[in-house]
Formats: sequence, C-alpha cells, structure tokens
Amino acid sequence: MLATTLYEDGDHRWIMFGRDPKKPQGIIDTNQYLIQSGKHTMLLDPGGIELFAPMLSSVLKFAPADQITHLFASHQDPDIISSLGLWDQALPDAKLYSPWLWEGFIRHFGMERIEYCGIPDEGMTITLGNIQLQFIPAHYLHSSGNFHVWDPKAQILMSGDVGAALEENDAPLWVDSMERHAPKMRKFHQRWMPSNEAKLDWIRRVRGLDINIMAPQHGRLFKPPFVHEFLDWFEALPVGTAIRS
Amino acid sequence: MSAPVFITAAAISAELHQAMLEARGLALTAKNARALAVRAGSRTVGFRAITDFIEELASTIIRQSQNINVLAEHLSQQAVNAWRADMASKHFDWVCTQNSRYQNSLTVSINECKAKQLALSIELQKGISLLTDQLEESRKQIRTANLIATSSHVEASSAGEFRRQLEVIADTIRATAGQIGAHLTKANALLSQSNKGRRA
Repeated sequence: MLATTLYEDGDHRWIMFGRDPKKPQGIIDTNQYLIQSGKHTMLLDPGGIELFAPMLSSVLKFAPADQITHLFASHQDPDIISSLGLWDQALPDAKLYSPWLWEGFIRHFGMERIEYCGIPDEGMTITLGNIQLQFIPAHYLHSSGNFHVWDPKAQILMSGDVGAALEENDAPLWVDSMERHAPKMRKFHQRWMPSNEAKLDWIRRVRGLDINIMAPQHGRLFKPPFVHEFLDWFEALPVGTAIRS
Repeated sequence: MSAPVFITAAAISAELHQAMLEARGLALTAKNARALAVRAGSRTVGFRAITDFIEELASTIIRQSQNINVLAEHLSQQAVNAWRADMASKHFDWVCTQNSRYQNSLTVSINECKAKQLALSIELQKGISLLTDQLEESRKQIRTANLIATSSHVEASSAGEFRRQLEVIADTIRATAGQIGAHLTKANALLSQSNKGRRA
C-alpha cells in the first residue's frame, strides 16, 4: 500500500494510504489518512475488512499500536469502517469518533474494546496531541449522518466522498486539471449526493476555510487553485439525479 | 473441506427445530390416543397406559430439542467469535512478516488474541462434546418411542372395533419417531463431520 506524506511540521503530520496494487479485485479503491501529533495518532476512514492487514502494516511504519488512540469514521459505509472488528483486536486503547446517528449500526462491525464517541449533528472540536481537529458537518453528503475533518494548522480538509472519483489504482495522486478531472467525478456526485440544499450548506461552510489540501476518500486530492475550482463546479452541479431519471 | 463450526451449529439447530416440531405432532397423537382409549373403555386399558408414556416421551423430546437448540445457537455464536479471533490472528501473523518499524507494539494485542483463541477453542470443544451427549440422549428416547410403537400395535390387536384406529396411532408414533430419528442422525452426522474437520 502506497504511503504519501501530505504534511509534516515537527511531530505533526498527515499521511495518506492507498493505491494498493495488491487490493482484491472488485472492491473500490479508497484513500485512508493518518494524522499524528505528539504521542497520538488518528486514522481517518480506516477502510474495509479486505484492506485491514496491509493498512495495519502500513500504519505501523509510522506509529506504534498503543499510540493509535483515535479512529474516525465519516459515516457508516463498509468501505469506511467494516474493518472495525479487527482494529478492535489490534488497538488496546482507542476511541472511535463517528456520527452519533450511526452508533447502533456501526457496532454491527464488532466493537468490544474501542470506545464509541458519537459526534453531535453540529460537529465538534477535539484535541489530538498538540493540535485541534474539527469535525465539520457534511450531512447528506452522501450519508444522512456525515462529517469531514478539518485541521486548521495543516490546512487540510479530509472531505470524505465529496471530491471523490472512482478511478484506476494507478491514477495520479493530485488533480492537475479540473477540465479533465470533472467528468470523472460528475456521475459519482450526481448519484451519491442526494440533496442540493445540503450541498450548498456544505459549500458555504467550506468556503470559509483556508484550504491547502482537500483530501477525499476516493481518487485524487486537490490543491489550490483546484480546491476553489472544485467548489465552483460542485455548486453548479445538480445532484440527486436518480429520482429524475 | 468441512463447513465452519458456526454454520454446522446453525444447521444442527435447524435440524433440532424440525425434530421439535415432529415431537409436538407426537404429543398431539398421544392426546388423540388417550381420547380414543377412553372411548374404547376396558378393552384398551393397556393402550391408555401407553399414551401416558407417549405424552411424557413427546415432552421430553421437545424439552431436549429446545435445550440442544439453545446450546447449538450459543455454540454458533462462540464459533463466530473464535472465527473472528482466528481471522485477526492470521492478519497479525501476516503483518509480522512485513517488517514494519513498530510491529513489536502489536505483541500485547497478539498475545491477547492468541489467549482468546485458545479459550474459545476449549469452550467450543466442551460445547461440541455436550452437544454430542445431548444428541445421544435424544436418540435413546427415539429407541424408546419405537418400543412403544410396537407395544401399541400389540395392545391395538385386542381393542375390537377400535383396533384399526389404534393401529393408525401406533403407525403414526413409529413414523414420527422415524422422522425425529432422521433429524437426529443428520445432526449427528453434521457434528462428526465438523469434529473431523477441526481435527484435520
């Protein structure tokens, strides 16, 4: 599994995992993220059960198991968190931050040791080591209880399924042209995102952030100027199209 | 390749559920036999005594089937837990071959996982052995049912105009006992297959 450092400043860093060439066929490629600060590490959308072993092995290159103290699941989908039952056996002392709405559902993946910390609808701020992280509401994008993670110091927004594109394993890491990349995202956003109102609410929130990297859970990542180009493109895109087809 | 224990246990539970339904039918047959014996009066005194046995037998089989069902379901859940621990253990073993910088930090979790695996495996083995005993106990009840069916036939022969109806009841007991016996045999076969698979 490919590990890429997105940001590093002293003991504060962001690592992205993905583009696994050994990934079993038939499952979609996912981006997993690690945020480290001091002796604390958070895994964002740690992935499906099929990816657990390569993901654990990759993560242990950066942090010992007892320092993986936080997990975050943006929503309840299997590609996000179906590995939970195995992380539960690997991590002796961890908390899972996820929408309060999904607790009873996510527990179906198996959770005995990890503590579930439900994120309230309005979002919240937590401390990880020496930094603060914000859980930004992204409800209905696409899940009815959904959050993104904003790191104001690193200026990175982990944007879940927003900005996602389903591409081949060997796709480049960074968006280099919105004109070429937009067609790869269009159908995904139109079908998976159900609400134009929710979309506009999210765009309003996110326009207020000074984003250096926007990091979705599938496909390529965005840097300026493509972050703003994406927001403009998304704003103009009608979503929830299945009901009109 | 044998099926995992959680599937076998669920299949055994399903067989025992069927056996329990058959045993409920047997209890109904016993009630019919009792009503008939009352109507037939003194000519079926022996048969009336037998109906008590049949009723008791039916309720014993129902009780045992329910017990086995509960045990099999518990076993199935334990087997799922064991399978999860096995899967985690296999993943951990693989991770240990990858030379990750902090792989030693997994040692505590690996040891806990192995201990859990061992405890679950012992518990599973105990459960399987208990299940085997209970199935054997139920099979003994079926052998008794067959003996009762034979005695019922003998008693029916002296019941005059009620003979034919009592013979039908005796045949029903034999047939039902046969069906329950078939479910128990299937449950036993599933269990021994699973046991062989575990030992292999």
